[in-house]
Amino acid sequence: MSEAAPELNLPPSVVSRADMTRLVRELELVDDELEAQKARRQGESGHYHLPNMSQALNDFLQLNKIDVASDRTRMDIKARLRKLKDHAPILHMTFATETDPESMQKLMAWVRRELHPQALISTGLQPSLIGGVYVRTPNHVHDLSLRTHMKDSRGLIVAALDKLKEVAQ
Amino acid sequence: MTIWWLAFIVGSLAAVFLAFIWISIKLSGVQGGGKDKKKQGTTDLDKAYSDLAEEDVNHLFNKEFREELRNRGRLKFEQIVDENAMFLKQDLDLTISQLNDYMKQQISSKLDSEFQTYSKAMKEAQELTLSVLQKTANELDQQRQELSQAMQKSMTAHEANMLKNFENNMATVVEYYVLQSLGEQFDMKAQLPYIMKQMEEHKKEMMEDMLL
Repeated sequence: MSEAAPELNLPPSVVSRADMTRLVRELELVDDELEAQKARRQGESGHYHLPNMSQALNDFLQLNKIDVASDRTRMDIKARLRKLKDHAPILHMTFATETDPESMQKLMAWVRRELHPQALISTGLQPSLIGGVYVRTPNHVHDLSLRTHMKDSRGLIVAALDKLKEVAQ
Repeated sequence: MTIWWLAFIVGSLAAVFLAFIWISIKLSGVQGGGKDKKKQGTTDLDKAYSDLAEEDVNHLFNKEFREELRNRGRLKFEQIVDENAMFLKQDLDLTISQLNDYMKQQISSKLDSEFQTYSKAMKEAQELTLSVLQKTANELDQQRQELSQAMQKSMTAHEANMLKNFENNMATVVEYYVLQSLGEQFDMKAQLPYIMKQMEEHKKEMMEDMLL
């Protein structure tokens, strides 16, 4: 009975499904390149000439301690990555301002640490939110925007005005 | 009344004057008629006496004498006319004086009566005007009070409405202000702690949803 493979960990630089698609494609390219080297018998000694890889793929390989020189491993990882690309839980997050990679990586790290290790994020832009985020999970919506927070806090302003009115009277 | 008296006096004077004229004419006629009667009644005998008498008459009542009589008659007539004129003037003056007094009296009484009537009417009109003015003033005062109350009520309602609108829209104003103030300066890095905190608060719900 074979031992179940551990779940793949995604690096923080892989945020969206598009990043995931790029990762899979890049891994396929690497696989093709290594297969080509193998066909040309360049890798028989076990030292393949690895093509240039993106930071995301490097992070992914290091994080999961994957040896791409192994054909079986590459095949397994490709299959698991494709499956993960199609079935990874996606968190739709709408922001009030443009996102920057650094912030998104921090956010992604938190999401994978606290919510789901293989979650992906789909981002959107809605300036009327003022601030905060509008999060849509597979089954729920969490409005964490500043607009909603202020709307919920309108009672505070009215209460303050009432208090001022009482003081004035 | 006095005008009739005046007319009566003038008519009397005119009648006296006409009677005097008639008597004068009659006297002159008697003089002429006597001469004719003597001529008709006398006989031839008497004709001599008549001629004689005529001669005496012509001698006595000669032209100068007749002229003298005429002058005397004229003077007498003028004297009578003057006296009557004087009497007439006196009567006229008296009548005019009485008439003036009467007119004054009548006019005074009439004027007094009219003035009393006018004064009474003026007093009534004044009282009526005062009454109307008082009534109008009361109505105006009442309307002013009603208007003041209505305006006060309206102002209170308007003030409350404005206050309510202000309170209702205050939050929107603040939101708009915050949006305009922070919209472009509140970047992702600045928001990240707030986002993390909010997500931390809803972590459990999101995690359960994603594990389904």
